[in-house]
Amino acid sequence: MHELSLAIEIGRLVEEKLGESVARCVTVGVEVGTDSGVEPSALEFCLEAVFSHPPWTGARPAITRPDGDVFQVTYFEIEDDDGPND
Amino acid sequence: MTVRTIEVRERVMARNDELAAQVRERLARHHVSAINLMSSPGAGKTTLLERTLAVLGEALEIAVVVGDCQTQNDADRLARHTGRLVQAVVTNGACHMDALQVNEALDNIDLDRTRLLIVENVGNLVCPASWDLGEQARVVLFAVTEGEDKPLKYPKIFQKADWVVLTKTDLLPYVPFDVERALRYCREINPKLQFIQVSAMNGHGMADWFNFVRQAVAPLVSA
Repeated sequence: MHELSLAIEIGRLVEEKLGESVARCVTVGVEVGTDSGVEPSALEFCLEAVFSHPPWTGARPAITRPDGDVFQVTYFEIEDDDGPND
Repeated sequence: MTVRTIEVRERVMARNDELAAQVRERLARHHVSAINLMSSPGAGKTTLLERTLAVLGEALEIAVVVGDCQTQNDADRLARHTGRLVQAVVTNGACHMDALQVNEALDNIDLDRTRLLIVENVGNLVCPASWDLGEQARVVLFAVTEGEDKPLKYPKIFQKADWVVLTKTDLLPYVPFDVERALRYCREINPKLQFIQVSAMNGHGMADWFNFVRQAVAPLVSA
């Protein structure tokens, strides 16, 4: 599979979910099934490249390998700025 | 700073699948069937299509979208066999076609004067399997110059296919290819597969292929 195009699509998904939020994404959880046809190390490499640019700067991919052909973004962790009184 | 976890659970291919559904709906609105033709590079997709366009291109009002990483050589080859539009899609290195590219290619095709769309995918037995293009039938070409175990090595594309076309059968006397073993491997991966054996060079089996293409159009014509 074309891991870079998949990584870009994952970046688009995250960006869409973040919307107008100014929160910083720190982790993106991705399930890459053992029969998904996606090579996890290649995907991780591509995700790191995508996540080196805004609005994802600094996000880290967290890839898990369940059985089956699932290929989905499961969660992301965001860091909220609690404001000046924090 | 507070770290929050947001559950998403969204398939990465979801957007492509939405676009594929749009392509499917758009084609159905114009009563156009679609075939996605896939294979490894050099299995004979373009040659098979050349013969198909020459014989059936006008009668079935076939439009073709051809995907290649670079060049529009295949589109140029096909255009010599039909007066109808052959739409080239250069993927700029991407190893498969996606539904967005097909949807955009349809903008240049007169769908009211088309009954069958054939998409010649990028030559690759891995990536195209995962990308729905909005087709009704998925056809994998499997050349007798390849190893019989291709279905075992690349199972996903055979699992997702409806038909397998064994190509270059004129070369069978010269290559150590065991047809029965190849078909057995195909059936092990996908028992529902149907088969056609052709040589676009000497014409053997082409009548079966042409019948398949005619039948691919028929359901929508009678609808």
